[in-house]
Amino acid sequence: MAQNAVNRGNDELINYAALRALVVDDYPGMRSALKLTLSNFGVTKIQMAGSATEAISRIQNNTFDFILCDFNLGEGRDGQQLLEELRHRGLINLDTVFIMVTAESIYEKVAATAELAPDDYMIKPFSAEVLRNRLESILLRKLAFKEIYRHFKEHDLVAALHGCDRLIDSKPKYLVDALRFKGELLNALGRFEEAEALYRQIINMRAIPWARLGLANALHLQKKDAQAEEELRDVLVQAPEMVAAYDMLANVCLARNDSAGAQAVLEQGVAISGKTVRRQQKLGEIAHANGDLESARKAYATALDKGRHSVFVTPTDYGNLCQVQLEQGDLKAVAETLKNAKNILQASTDGQLVMAVVQGVAQQQAGKPEEADKFLREAARLRSDGASADAPLLLKMAETWMAGGQLEAADSLINEVARNAHDSDVLLEKAKQIYLAAGREDVGASNLKAATADVRKLNNEGVLLAQKGEYRQAVDKLLAACHEAPRNPRIIMNAVWVVLKCIDLEGMDEELLEQARRYLDEAARQAPGHSRIAGLRLHMKEIENKFGIRRRSAT
Amino acid sequence: MKFDSNDLYASLMHELKNHLGLLAMTIDSIPLQNDPAHDGVVDDARLLCQRVVERLQQALLIYKAANGQIKPSIDAYSPEDLVRELRDTAVSLARGRLEVHCGIAPETPAIAFFDRTLIEMALINAIHNALAYARTAIWIEAGIEAGRLTLTVRDDSEGFPEPILSGYTSDAPNRSGGTGLGLHFARMIAETHVNQGRGGELRLANQNGAVFCVLLP
Repeated sequence: MAQNAVNRGNDELINYAALRALVVDDYPGMRSALKLTLSNFGVTKIQMAGSATEAISRIQNNTFDFILCDFNLGEGRDGQQLLEELRHRGLINLDTVFIMVTAESIYEKVAATAELAPDDYMIKPFSAEVLRNRLESILLRKLAFKEIYRHFKEHDLVAALHGCDRLIDSKPKYLVDALRFKGELLNALGRFEEAEALYRQIINMRAIPWARLGLANALHLQKKDAQAEEELRDVLVQAPEMVAAYDMLANVCLARNDSAGAQAVLEQGVAISGKTVRRQQKLGEIAHANGDLESARKAYATALDKGRHSVFVTPTDYGNLCQVQLEQGDLKAVAETLKNAKNILQASTDGQLVMAVVQGVAQQQAGKPEEADKFLREAARLRSDGASADAPLLLKMAETWMAGGQLEAADSLINEVARNAHDSDVLLEKAKQIYLAAGREDVGASNLKAATADVRKLNNEGVLLAQKGEYRQAVDKLLAACHEAPRNPRIIMNAVWVVLKCIDLEGMDEELLEQARRYLDEAARQAPGHSRIAGLRLHMKEIENKFGIRRRSAT
Repeated sequence: MKFDSNDLYASLMHELKNHLGLLAMTIDSIPLQNDPAHDGVVDDARLLCQRVVERLQQALLIYKAANGQIKPSIDAYSPEDLVRELRDTAVSLARGRLEVHCGIAPETPAIAFFDRTLIEMALINAIHNALAYARTAIWIEAGIEAGRLTLTVRDDSEGFPEPILSGYTSDAPNRSGGTGLGLHFARMIAETHVNQGRGGELRLANQNGAVFCVLLP
């Protein structure tokens, strides 16, 4: 039989001596053994960390090319939580090699989405040869993807897409990797139909679970939610331990207005892997909306417990737990929550705002309106100094004001919430209920109508002007709408779109472009992962290129 | 005090794997002294340690099988990378006592779909056997046969005993020391790989030595 030789021959491409490595393991004996193993094949620049917290501080202060991390890190965050946080905070990028060491092969299925998956897994116990081979394969793969990653980092998704196509045509070894990355790019660019076709192409080769998840996502983004649900339910029959599928299925259920189904699905996901903070938060939100206060309370409390040191926990999470406890009338629990979180909440004005509102509501419920008023005044002061809170908490604040007879303040706050959420049925309904409970249904209806009508009118007029090609006037209208509703993602995105269009056709206005850039960042904060954002970023990049503007710094 | 036996079992396994990994790495770090009396003992210890690792993996596999949990997690992998990784492992275990050859047939696909963890487990076991019985050399090869990926471990030993070739692996002794368990597991692993109605297969033969071949659809 004719055989091709299997030669290493890659040593000149990989300089192990230059590789900066971080070993994360809670067991000192294992850390030094891994260090010795790595140094045996030439990796000598090695730092070590015994916990996720220590790893993060090292990564913040140094650059690493390679992180070898044990999944099980004892107390505190595990390796998966560490990886998620590193990706979320942008502390590592696509060039950094992250290998997870696990004792269980089942872990692979737990972290099946690209966003959450490490570059590879090592199942314990493993030999030095296996580690070296895995590392080498990943480094060579990253080398093949180098240009693609560079374009991606520069938000030039189309160039990254072309890079994938070149790899697909020329390097059969990276065919599946390149297709996988291309699928994500297509979704980010809003080219969902092409993404669907691509995932079907992969599934034709083999029905790998992550490809089926990709297909379901592409279907969901095209609003083909019935098909998406069918695909995901079948994936879960085949691979019930695949938690990412539960997360996605919950979103699909919500899109189909099946919030009970969404809660049931997330509860299954949590039963398999309950440590993911964002899964617990989502479960809490859905259960809360479903009126299942006990489940909501449990999920919110678990999110806080598991995410004590996580970036995914913000003052809003404490606010959420307290709101459920308030709705349950459990004032003792509210006091306990605030007491335990006192240091964390007092550290930021947003946290102080949560505390002030919650205490105000609690005092009102306890029948002490004077005390309540004191706290709400404090909340108002914090807000005028720039502290922000999410819409449900603000509505709670308004509700309490209304109950205490401060109708003007309540109406004005609800008006503000409504302006920033003119197309959110859930929030507007909540606001309506507050008026209903206060016996002020008519006032509420006109307040909500006025609040949303202004924004809606400016928005519609702006969009209409843009459609007629009168971009300059369209910009004026939409910027006015943004002024009315500075946190309304839909309005902001429309404004950005029309500003870019205007500059494209009528010439550069750097001040306007800078404003659009800030609005786009705000939209990304208000509606993270919204399907329009990547497209707008791309458009902005094209405008910058066209007029020779160098991006000052990545935002 | 109440114990959850599942939790205890999981922690125990976790520690066992840690200690074994550490033991393997510690043995690897013992420098050779060009003295057969020393190096031979170290080599024996390494091989033995690998055997223990193998038995642990098999024990876990039985545990999973008993719970109906052996479902391969299939993804795309490079057969060439796999062969190279196995070659390096075999070279390190052979420490120059035996030659380790490997090869990729020209028509072998650049990527194939299988459960890397399970397939490696089956092949490493075959490599350990080959290293124990080969006279001068072992071969690790990838190829393709009628649309199925073939992964082969060959040696120049006297070959498998007849009962094993006839398929009576359950009660027949595997050559001398072993129990034939490894082959049993390899067959189980190969057969869990199913694609579009076609199953995987373990094929054993004697052809100038023992030939262990896993065929994957």
